[in-house]
Amino acid sequence: MRIFLSGLLKLRRRLATWLTFVILLAILGLIFVAVGAVPPPPPPESGSDPGQGGVDPAILLAFPTAYDNVIAFILGLGGLLAVIYGAAIAGSEWTWGTLKSAVARGENRTLYVLGTFAAIALVFAIGIVLATGFGVVAALAGGAIAGIPADGFGDGAALAALPEKLARVWVAIVGEGALGFAIATLTRSQLAGIGVGVGLYFGGQFAGIFLPDVVQYLPFSAANAVLATDGAGQGGQVIQALAPNVALLVVAAWLLGALIVASLFTERAEIAG
Amino acid sequence: MTFALATRGLRKRYGSRTALDGLDLSVPEGVVYGFLGPNGAGKTTTMRLLTGLIHPDAGSIELLGRPFDRGYRRRLFDVGALIESPAFYPYLSGRDNLRTLAATGAKTPAARIDELLELMGLASRARDKVSGYSLGMKQRLAIAAALLSDPKLLLLDEPANGLDPAGIVAMRDTLRRLAASGKTVFVSSHILSEVQQLVDVVGIIAAGRLVREGTMRELLHDEGVVRVRVAPEEVEAATAALALLEDQPRTEGGTDADGGWLTIHVTPSRAAAVNRALAERGVYASRIEAGSDLEGLFLQLTADAPPPEVPAGPSWAAP
Repeated sequence: MRIFLSGLLKLRRRLATWLTFVILLAILGLIFVAVGAVPPPPPPESGSDPGQGGVDPAILLAFPTAYDNVIAFILGLGGLLAVIYGAAIAGSEWTWGTLKSAVARGENRTLYVLGTFAAIALVFAIGIVLATGFGVVAALAGGAIAGIPADGFGDGAALAALPEKLARVWVAIVGEGALGFAIATLTRSQLAGIGVGVGLYFGGQFAGIFLPDVVQYLPFSAANAVLATDGAGQGGQVIQALAPNVALLVVAAWLLGALIVASLFTERAEIAG
Repeated sequence: MTFALATRGLRKRYGSRTALDGLDLSVPEGVVYGFLGPNGAGKTTTMRLLTGLIHPDAGSIELLGRPFDRGYRRRLFDVGALIESPAFYPYLSGRDNLRTLAATGAKTPAARIDELLELMGLASRARDKVSGYSLGMKQRLAIAAALLSDPKLLLLDEPANGLDPAGIVAMRDTLRRLAASGKTVFVSSHILSEVQQLVDVVGIIAAGRLVREGTMRELLHDEGVVRVRVAPEEVEAATAALALLEDQPRTEGGTDADGGWLTIHVTPSRAAAVNRALAERGVYASRIEAGSDLEGLFLQLTADAPPPEVPAGPSWAAP
């Protein structure tokens, strides 16, 4: 518990925490408000491609589907940010030598890793909830600009489903963060962890075009499939996706595996420098 | 005798390079122990082993009278350590860094943090980010961190690094005070003058092996010298006179290259006896010096050590 609380103190004071959060909010706000500001496409003429006129802002901004869209964007963009953030936190423990100080005080290495990651997981939870609130406000603002009524804002079924969806997103983002965390632990470096994590993220997306059957089980693809959505915010969902509940299990397995790898490696590592 | 720290046959290899080759250390309780050695001799490897950062290939370690290895990390609850350079979160204040460190290992009362910041002269800068600290301030903060759990055994790797003269004196006083209160202080260093003023017991390591261990008094006694300067034409007579001294000490020098200085290997307190022996033979020294030659001993003991390894790093082309 002491390590968890001190981990929260470290994360709260760290610029990367706020920077990551602001980036998420900025992109989220920009997309939802910008879509609202774009004039709606003219009705398609007969014989023309219905997609050529652009996206109807109502698809993104009309409630209650706007709730799902906001969450889907957080899942897609937040996953990438989570990899980077997880790698930055784990890598800095090695780069700055602060893990060394804790170990030299007799701290249990595994508990230190898990306590530190638990603090990250809580920060992710807070970030997801706050970003969702911000995204909903941005969707309302975008909708207001586009003249879309917010009739579905109080939709009971959508609101009732929100906690479960947010929980699924949290598990997915924590799983992706754990992957960055584990990679940075293995490489003992912030930069290497971030680089490899981001490379895997985009590499997985690219590989999904050619090996969809395999890639759907990889962590980032599985994480993007934990919600049953129409693919908004996920780059057009070019890869084959697992069923949401299966994806959740796969993500949980990757999360567990990443934490085991990070713990075992730290436990056995010779800490020099 | 009870030892605060003891190692037996400690071995450690990094690939094909042997860092420690059967190190046997015996550090008595309540002393300041100076762990000396040239660069690359194995000092930092020893420190890392003693704090569980790395694990030995062979041999055993006892901390505070009990075995220590990877299964006994709690032994370190009574040990404070500063290994290599100070390691802190640069974006946190000095106080917050100590708070986060206090959350690991042995439980530490919150009041202890302010007490240590005061002790190390950092109270006025406690709220400033560590990234703005000078090297000396980081070093003092690292010593404060090592003292967090009020340890019985303190392991300090080059603690004087980056400290100004006043800081070195203050650190020396602090460490002496800790030893006087019954704690054991193990200081690794290659600054011989600093060690000579601070420590009670010395261990000298070279090429991963302990080559000499003993109290500073014993070592300085053994390595005591009296140097006398005589006229060149009197060197022979002086050498003959000194050979008649009670214990027939080794005498060397006296050549042109030595500028007429003769070095007699006797305890410094026998300078008067040396002077008397010369005078009785009608030889009068123009100068007499008495002292101890820790540096000479260090160089002699570590002379056979392999040259220090140069760490891998970027290379620069000549302009």
